[in-house]
Amino acid sequence: MKLVRMTLLTAWRALRRNLTRSLLTMLGVVIGVAAVIAMVSVGQGADASVQAQIASLGTNIVMVIPGATTAGGVRSGWGGASTLTVGDAKAIEKECPSVAAVTYVKREIAQVTYGHENWATAIQGSPPSYSAVRDWPVARGRFFTQSEEDSAAKVAVLGQTLVDKLFVPGEDPLGAAIRVRAVPFRVVGVLAPKGQTTWGQDQDDVVIVPFSTAERRVLGTAFLGTVNMILVSSPSSADAVQAEGDIARLLRVRHRTPAGEEDDFTVRSMRELFAASLMASQVMTRLLAAIASISLLVGGIGIMNILLVSVTERTREIGVRLAVGAKARHILLQFLVEAIVLSTAGGILGTLLGIGAAVLIGRLAAWPILVSPPAVAIALVFSGVVGLAFGVYPARRAARLDPIVALRHE
Amino acid sequence: MIETHALTKVYALDHGEVVVEALRGITLTVRAGELVAIVGASGSGKSTLLNILGCLDRPSSGEYRLDGRDVSRLTADQRAVLRNVCIGFVFQSFNLLPRTSARENVELPLVYGDAPPAEHRQRAEDALGAVGLADAADRLPSQLSGGQQQRVAIARALVSRPRLILADEPTGNLDTATSRDIMDLLRALNRTHGLTLVVVTHEPDIAALTDRVVMMRDGRVVADGPPGHVLGRAVEPAV
Repeated sequence: MKLVRMTLLTAWRALRRNLTRSLLTMLGVVIGVAAVIAMVSVGQGADASVQAQIASLGTNIVMVIPGATTAGGVRSGWGGASTLTVGDAKAIEKECPSVAAVTYVKREIAQVTYGHENWATAIQGSPPSYSAVRDWPVARGRFFTQSEEDSAAKVAVLGQTLVDKLFVPGEDPLGAAIRVRAVPFRVVGVLAPKGQTTWGQDQDDVVIVPFSTAERRVLGTAFLGTVNMILVSSPSSADAVQAEGDIARLLRVRHRTPAGEEDDFTVRSMRELFAASLMASQVMTRLLAAIASISLLVGGIGIMNILLVSVTERTREIGVRLAVGAKARHILLQFLVEAIVLSTAGGILGTLLGIGAAVLIGRLAAWPILVSPPAVAIALVFSGVVGLAFGVYPARRAARLDPIVALRHE
Repeated sequence: MIETHALTKVYALDHGEVVVEALRGITLTVRAGELVAIVGASGSGKSTLLNILGCLDRPSSGEYRLDGRDVSRLTADQRAVLRNVCIGFVFQSFNLLPRTSARENVELPLVYGDAPPAEHRQRAEDALGAVGLADAADRLPSQLSGGQQQRVAIARALVSRPRLILADEPTGNLDTATSRDIMDLLRALNRTHGLTLVVVTHEPDIAALTDRVVMMRDGRVVADGPPGHVLGRAVEPAV
């Protein structure tokens, strides 16, 4: 215990004796650790915002849209055909094991009026499961229920954009009677704002009504039971991959598509897109950390250099210690402790500086910043390890000194 | 206390092309409680002998028994323990740690030893008291005179309560009066504590203050006896 205290005390004294030199020696590690922490914080901030976007859009969501039609040589493009049905959606829910929930959408652009205001928006018919599958709750009021769906009730849930367009600020939309293509609906809920999609579409510019009501009262019954889109949620992103395959196989069977014929539907997910952008930001974080680590390494070399000087300067002290009974390992420990004290002190200073720099960068550049405790811990431990690694050589040189030679050293 | 038989020390320089025989067969016995001076011109091998006696170095051949135990073939760590427990060193240039208080300098051997930490402070102060510096415990070496520094160094040699003190030119850096004080202190420790003392010196005046003088030349003992005999009639034996 005494030895440990004495070793620490000696290390502290030796470093304080040449305070300027010790601080300059530390500077390498300070800058290294600060750079690592600032860079990783910026990188992880970017990472986190990408991940938040993914979470809001749902990487576990698989979209199924109808295929193209060809009428007189004119191909309509994806979604033009009315090949997907409510039956398909129910079959997917029943038969695909990798599927958690299924909902479907039938939508058109139509005029909505309230009082003197009117606005062209997306009229969307969906069952109540839509809210859960899209992970899109109401901010106020409630989503419509299964019994309202079953009875084709004339109730509507509005997106925030539509609320802003139809109602004056401060007016309560709940309970208001709006008209969708002249059909009166009662507003029962307002959806939480969801913002734009990555391709710039305003998701909040919408009115959602029960699917049965939309079919029978608003959108017409020309293609009864067909849907524009089936949305499938899986328990996880990994399951979504499985689900994509399962759904495609099931629908080919259900649509009796002959082998070799093109699918009359498309299964899509956002997984690849976001996996790619996530990967990009992770690669960026790693790259920044790698560059910053180099300065840590340079800092370690600085520590080694100064310790070698210190060993030479204190050769006689080492001789005295050996003469009065210090073993080689005591001397080794002494210089290792000095190296580690130097580098961890540098690490602590660097951490503070790095967090400060990260916050400053965040303010100036308006970037999201995430100072992650594991990154701080790793940087601190790494700085200690740098001290240990670069302290070994000088410490071994000190420990191997011949006491007689050391005592005679001038 | 000390028994050596045919000790030799050979240094090979320039990759073995030049061989220096520093010691050429030293057979010497020092009984417990003796106060012995080793004298000789520089290069006579007296410092080499002291280093071996102090377990800082190992002989090339021959035998060295310290307190009846053969120590000529011990490992570096075993010798470190021996230096810590059985031997106290006093150097020409004091070798105190700078910017470290007298007390902490004296405590240094205890740090590497087995004494319970709670006793360190008291033992250091006792040792400082024994050399007459009880009130200088908190002073730094730079605040002490040469003689005082050497006293602190002697206290450091005493603190682990060894039975053998080896002093290498302990008065080499001190003026005549202070040299005399230091020698008086060493003699007093020898007389009152029964410490065995071996002092290496090249000054006949200092050697004359001991009980027995061993004269070396070219790695051999050429004379061994009371100071009056060895040093010649010019120097009167110390009283």
